Amino acid sequence: MTLRRRLLDWSLAAVLVILPALVLRASMARGTPSGLDTALLRITAPLEAGVSWVVEGIGGVWSRYVALVDVEDENRELRADNESLRKQLAVMTRRAFDISALEDLAVVKHQNPVDTVGARVIGAPLSPQLRVLRLRLDRGEGEVLPEQAVITSAGPVGRIGTVFGPYADVRLLSDPDSTIDVVLPRTGGIGKLKGLGRPDTYACWIRWLDRSATADTKVQVGDEVVTSGVHGDFPAGLLAGKISKILRDDGMFQEVEVEPTVDPSRVRAVMVLLAPRPPADPDAKVKKHSEPAFGGRPL
Amino acid sequence: MRSATLVLAAYIMCVIVAASWRMFGGVLHDAVPDLGALTAAYLGLTARRDVAPAVGASVVLGYLIDLISGAPPGLSALVLALTGLVARAVQQRIFVRGKVMTMAFSAFVALVAWVIAFVVRVLYHASRADLVLELRHAALVIVATALAGNLVWRVFRRIDAAFARTARERDAALEGLAP
Repeated sequence: MTLRRRLLDWSLAAVLVILPALVLRASMARGTPSGLDTALLRITAPLEAGVSWVVEGIGGVWSRYVALVDVEDENRELRADNESLRKQLAVMTRRAFDISALEDLAVVKHQNPVDTVGARVIGAPLSPQLRVLRLRLDRGEGEVLPEQAVITSAGPVGRIGTVFGPYADVRLLSDPDSTIDVVLPRTGGIGKLKGLGRPDTYACWIRWLDRSATADTKVQVGDEVVTSGVHGDFPAGLLAGKISKILRDDGMFQEVEVEPTVDPSRVRAVMVLLAPRPPADPDAKVKKHSEPAFGGRPL
Repeated sequence: MRSATLVLAAYIMCVIVAASWRMFGGVLHDAVPDLGALTAAYLGLTARRDVAPAVGASVVLGYLIDLISGAPPGLSALVLALTGLVARAVQQRIFVRGKVMTMAFSAFVALVAWVIAFVVRVLYHASRADLVLELRHAALVIVATALAGNLVWRVFRRIDAAFARTARERDAALEGLAP
């Protein structure tokens, strides 16, 4: 190798070292990529994107199907999180249900101007013979008395049976001993709604239902049954249920089965109407004689 | 043609490393093998008589690496050019053959490249991290480069063998003997 060629070679190498130094100085001063940089990036970027896509695909297969070392721990953590969130959801759902029930009670309170006491259901009916709900009274201990009406926004629930401190048992409409006065708005027929005491449903029946003379006012399945307000224990107009079956239809009276609107198994809060029933007539057992008309007595 | 092929192969390897290394976590994430320095060292070490083609190929590769890595254009080009010259300078003094020697030389090359890069960044007021962090990063890169050196150089030797004009040159290239 001649000296001249060696000099040329080293000169060229020096130029090649100085060139990037100048490029670096220029790029540091400029701060933005030059046109050549941009053009080269546009050419090389698809290659990088393609390689990246392939590598990510291989990495994805690896992490999804091969490298499953931490999956079990992660799965355990997720299960724990899931369980915790389910519990939270259950609490929140119950709270939302309570709020919904309280909103219903507020509506009932607004619709019935009589004095009322709110109560929460703490026990469900267990025996078909004794259709009762157990309540915990919010207030009014001592004011709640047996036979007072218990209602929800959906309709009548029953009557207070036993009161013990801040607790009370409600005798449901479906209890065989329960009786409330009802009327059918469509036909105008009146009757007494009694519980059937069935073990599988909360069905009631109306035994002596007035029958109208005209055929088009006969009761039909689906007719609404509302409280009549007679005796003043339940306010008039509360939807008690709908006729689900016509049991007997002869003579002056009809016998129908009624499906109550209130499902006691889903009731969470109720309202007790404190308005007392009219006091019993103290002279009910005393036989009264009418005053003679015109001073004479019938034979 | 040989230098261009080596640069292209090195560039593709750099792209693969850039795409795949970000998937690693922990210490491995920072332990990126310095393929540019390995290539520049190989070019310098195997330069026949003229040094300019090796430096030129190193500059081109460095420039492409700058574009991949987002570094200021010219930084890696300058570093690789100087690394190539260092490798050319030791060409007559050491004999890189065998796995252990290749690993050791790769680590040395990575160290040289890091020192040059650090000096260049200081001179040009380019971004620098805390010195402890820089040293930790340098250690990881040196180890990763040493481990990757054998594989990378084997690829380069295959390419050299493909460009060999005679069977003797081919065998010498595969053996890792300097031309």
